[in-house]
Amino acid sequence: MWQVAAAGDRALLVTISRTIDPAVLGEVLALDRAILDRRPPGLISTVTAYGSLLCHYDPAVSDGARLAGEIRTFEGRLDATVPTGSVVDVPTRYDGPDLTDVAAKINLRAAEVIELHAGREYLVYCVGFAPGFTYCGTLDDRLALPRRASPRTRVPAGSVGIAGPQTGIYAVESPGGWNLIGRTDMRLFDPAADPPARFKPGDRLRFVPVE
Amino acid sequence: MIEVLNAGRWTTIQDRGRSGREHFGIPPGGAADWFAAAAANRLVGNHPDAALLECTVAGPSLRFDSDVHVAVTGARAAGIETWVPQVATAGSTLEVGAIGPGLRTYVAVRGGIDVPVVLGSRSFCQRGAFGGGFGRPLAAGDRLVEAALVDGEPLSSSWPAGHRLSIGSPWEVRVIGGPHSDAFDRGTLERLTAVACRVSPELDRMGMRLATPSLRMQAHEIITVPMPAGAIQVTPAGELIVSLADHPTTGGYPVIATVITADLPLLAQARPGDTVRFREADLAEADRAWRRLAGWLEMDT
Repeated sequence: MWQVAAAGDRALLVTISRTIDPAVLGEVLALDRAILDRRPPGLISTVTAYGSLLCHYDPAVSDGARLAGEIRTFEGRLDATVPTGSVVDVPTRYDGPDLTDVAAKINLRAAEVIELHAGREYLVYCVGFAPGFTYCGTLDDRLALPRRASPRTRVPAGSVGIAGPQTGIYAVESPGGWNLIGRTDMRLFDPAADPPARFKPGDRLRFVPVE
Repeated sequence: MIEVLNAGRWTTIQDRGRSGREHFGIPPGGAADWFAAAAANRLVGNHPDAALLECTVAGPSLRFDSDVHVAVTGARAAGIETWVPQVATAGSTLEVGAIGPGLRTYVAVRGGIDVPVVLGSRSFCQRGAFGGGFGRPLAAGDRLVEAALVDGEPLSSSWPAGHRLSIGSPWEVRVIGGPHSDAFDRGTLERLTAVACRVSPELDRMGMRLATPSLRMQAHEIITVPMPAGAIQVTPAGELIVSLADHPTTGGYPVIATVITADLPLLAQARPGDTVRFREADLAEADRAWRRLAGWLEMDT
């Protein structure tokens, strides 16, 4: 059962599931489309991440309870499919500052880490945190590692990291605690572009090792 | 034209922000103390979308080359009158000194500051390094040009004292419980609202950390979720992180409660070391509180 809860006085958080699952993402994205198609009164905008969706609304136009009721009418009635778009190649230099550490922690050689990371397609589950930051999943179980004990204060744009079951790309320079294994020259955020972010939830990508 | 002689500690160009782009990871931004910023624009007869200066800790020195209506609002700043419409005369210098009590002071000039709209707003976005005219805070030597975003005449009298928020610690901030109430033990929000929280030194436009020394809070982990401004995340160590205007669009810690829109200006003015007390409110009270501020601004509700 979906959970619809107030996130302050101008937003509702819809939680479909607290799991990282392509089918759940499919349902979240289907709900997002359905809400944006119906445009219920008072709706301002939506934001999705993994299994949940945030709905900003104007309480002067619609109260939260009415909007929650409208959202609930979609439950069980969405045509939710696992996203299957074309796969985008992300050229990646596997020379990240944590590559050797990561390999040592899981008793593999660096070349094997690269092979595991570049050896599968990933689904984009969320673009969030910072402009264009792209959260992808899920990693081969062998690569699942905790975040760094102390986050870096500056992670350069284009850095490719891993944390838990996720891999992600830092689109702009920011602080960060993920284990950095590589870097791409692909520009993932450009304020002058439309859309400004290279990826969106539901996209698929693959890391391609380059020298 | 306005010449920046001294930029102050951290002075940025802000407006009402760029909502609706959080799905690109872009924070809504805009003036942290949205009420003081809106009042400054009202004082000089600006359109609500006009861009102004948000000054932090210590304000800038600005030289004007023509007569311009200006208004300074928000926290008090040394050496300058606040909440009154005034005219900066040609050749004069406006010096916005040390700020406090409170953290942020707003300077509006008639017509607003003329900088390009980037992604729906003139506001500077620190994380993305864009907007605000320069893609950075102001620096000495910058030249600002007045725009023509006016909406009536400048006000002729000072802003009524009874129509301002009271600035100073302790801050009482109202919250709506959740959305992750079920990630905490029963009664956690009641315990949180019973203690004094202390603002930590780590503070910027993205968020503020609060220590709750006498409180033990244990939260279950969650997967990354989208979050609005005002979301109060609880870290595994029991520290609070409150989202402000430039907040990360998603977060990974459960949110025990969310600050109401009408009280975000209070948090925007809290300084390191200040005391914050949270109080639980319902949506009806949040709505009344917002309408009260909107009424003071004579905004359409």
